[in-house]
Amino acid sequence: MTKFITLVAKILLMILVLLVVLDWAYTTVYLHSSNRGKVEKVFNSKAQNYDVVILGSSRANNHFVPELFEKKGLKTFNYGMSGAHLFEASLLLKLMAERQYKIKTVILEADLGLCNEKESEAIAAKFLPYIHHSEIIKNHFSKQENFNELYYIPFYRYVDFDALIGFREMYNTATGKPTNILNNLGYHPLGHKPGNMKNDIRALKPIRNKYYEEIKQICKQNNYNLIAIMTPMCTNVKGLDYFEKANKIYPEIHNLENVVQGDQYFSSCGHMNDAGARIFTGVVLEMFFEKK
Amino acid sequence: MFFNSLPFAVFLPVVFLLYWFIFSKTKDTQNAFLVVVSYYFYSCWDWRFLFLLLFSTFLCYFTGIQIEKSTQEKSRKFWFWLSIVFNLGFLGIFKYYNFFAFSFSEALNTIGIHSSPLLLDVILPVGISFYTFHGLSYVIDIYYKRINSEKDVIDYALFVSYFPLLVAGPIERATHLLPQVKLKRSFDFEKAKEGVYQIIWGLVKKVVIADTCATYANAIFDNYTSMNSLSLILGAVYFAFQIYGDFSGYSDMALGMSKLFGLDLLRNFNYPYFSRDIAEFWRRWHISLSSWFRDYLYIPLGGSRGSKLKQVRNVFIIFVVSGFWHGANWTFLAWGFINALYFLPSLLLGTNRNNMETAELHWDFNSIKVFFNILATFTITCVAWIFFRAKSINIAFDYIGKIFTDGTFTSQFLQNQRYSYELLLLVLTFVLVEWNSRFKIEPISGKYSWLKMALCLLAIIALGTYADYKEFIYFQF
Repeated sequence: MTKFITLVAKILLMILVLLVVLDWAYTTVYLHSSNRGKVEKVFNSKAQNYDVVILGSSRANNHFVPELFEKKGLKTFNYGMSGAHLFEASLLLKLMAERQYKIKTVILEADLGLCNEKESEAIAAKFLPYIHHSEIIKNHFSKQENFNELYYIPFYRYVDFDALIGFREMYNTATGKPTNILNNLGYHPLGHKPGNMKNDIRALKPIRNKYYEEIKQICKQNNYNLIAIMTPMCTNVKGLDYFEKANKIYPEIHNLENVVQGDQYFSSCGHMNDAGARIFTGVVLEMFFEKK
Repeated sequence: MFFNSLPFAVFLPVVFLLYWFIFSKTKDTQNAFLVVVSYYFYSCWDWRFLFLLLFSTFLCYFTGIQIEKSTQEKSRKFWFWLSIVFNLGFLGIFKYYNFFAFSFSEALNTIGIHSSPLLLDVILPVGISFYTFHGLSYVIDIYYKRINSEKDVIDYALFVSYFPLLVAGPIERATHLLPQVKLKRSFDFEKAKEGVYQIIWGLVKKVVIADTCATYANAIFDNYTSMNSLSLILGAVYFAFQIYGDFSGYSDMALGMSKLFGLDLLRNFNYPYFSRDIAEFWRRWHISLSSWFRDYLYIPLGGSRGSKLKQVRNVFIIFVVSGFWHGANWTFLAWGFINALYFLPSLLLGTNRNNMETAELHWDFNSIKVFFNILATFTITCVAWIFFRAKSINIAFDYIGKIFTDGTFTSQFLQNQRYSYELLLLVLTFVLVEWNSRFKIEPISGKYSWLKMALCLLAIIALGTYADYKEFIYFQF
């Protein structure tokens, strides 16, 4: 039995060594990458100057066209991320502030995301390689249920989110394989997909959102002008009063839900196509930047 | 509580330590402890089905004794059929009733008699097909006077519900496991080490091969209408490795952990994809089920005795029933039927026992033939797997038809955000490792075992699929 316990102990030790070595190797790879995603682009960057930075979910990513801002002479990047919640938008802005980004205006897509304070696993995972290299990331995740495992067990985060930051992503990062995420200054244009243009958002209830409050706070502390915007949805939506309810909680959020109408401007009910996005961006430019 | 889950990673060491340090005094304490933890293990899925397991155990235990005690043939038959009817009855109700009711109603509808089936709102108790077959073989063996009934209820309960084999086999025989259960086990380092190696290799098969192949196979099968010929072929190959890695990985883990408790279980897989014909494949795939059907169905039906026609009938019966054992769906029946068709030529030509030894390759002409025979057997096996995996027989035919009609052989980007060809290197590496270790139970033992173990652990940690977690396929049977 002693021999067997020794064997098991050796195997456990081997597992521990492998976990530590792999953790170090993966993290090192992610610390040297900046061409595959928006999180690593910000994390591995130094101070930047922007006239406009766009934050939010896919409804920011697909709706604001930086090219049109640039035409007005405004240096812009769309940091909207498909699937992101305000949890991630807030963290990304904190990292920008820490890196002393000089930003004149932050445009935040704040609409459907207001109804929850949960993290979006698909996006939150992208921050996890850096959890031991950033107090901001560590603190941001510290209230999460699985923080102890993520922080203290070596390599756990890479196993738990293997589809997002596991071997395949690490390999592609190490070999410098680029993605199209950073193309078009971060904007991802959608095509027109004629199909089921309806949605039901009656179950969504806007709340006083902790991470929206955080974003307001960060902007105030860093002198970033914050423009919070609700972006359009297709016509056939049940529960459109959501936007009014959100406005009652946060009157400062600009309700632009209905500025682009007609299903020909949508790719799906919650996402405009490129034509719709260009019209919408034109409206935003006219409303908030023309006067200047 | 799956073998590849964190709760099980706690459960197993705790049970191991208690078994050897607290309950190892006599075989009775060992067995009683294993029965208790096995029931706990089973109740982790759904405690209500524990009563079904207990009922099945006591039914076979009691009827076994009664069959042996009965002096009159009529009485023996009564107890025998009572056990058979109850065991198959439970299996029929939980597993097959809805299928038959639905199929019957469909049949009536097609001839113009409108009816809606009376379906039962029940879930399939995990492992019911396995522990029912344990009980059946035990009772049949007693009836045919091959074994004596077991008088110790704890020993018998352990034979039926021993946790490593409880939910997905291997399907044990009373003649193999009960004699081991009757003896006090002493710790054997070499056996335990072998067990650990087998568990690690089983984990590689499950989390690295099966679960990774599953993400690709699912992305292809679930969207087969938009897939091209190459992707569809790859989908079938990935599924072949998914189901092999999943089930043989589970079996390796079951056999390995049983060795930790000093009990040897029946080998369930013997490198089936290196078979040179379909008869050899079935001697190497799910061996405990194939041999069960051989001994309790095929041979009683006459086996390979009698006229050719009778032999053909027996082959079709055994394969179709075996397919149906997997699940109440026409696709499983079709899978069994196709395998019977594959088997037919070797039966008629009398070549079904040609390849009894493990395949070898050398630099000679015969090896080319062996290589192509292996490839051909694997190819037809993959075709049969399409029926096993598809949601319906029509879809399976569509899938196969599209392979031949699409004619495009370029790589496709799948719904799982990966290219269809990406997994080929991993699969090929796995095949080479298996080929090199085909004369052993697992590839870790032998020379450089520490290095091989480190590589396996590295693969489990770094290449395993965890986020897209999948349960073992055979748990649903």
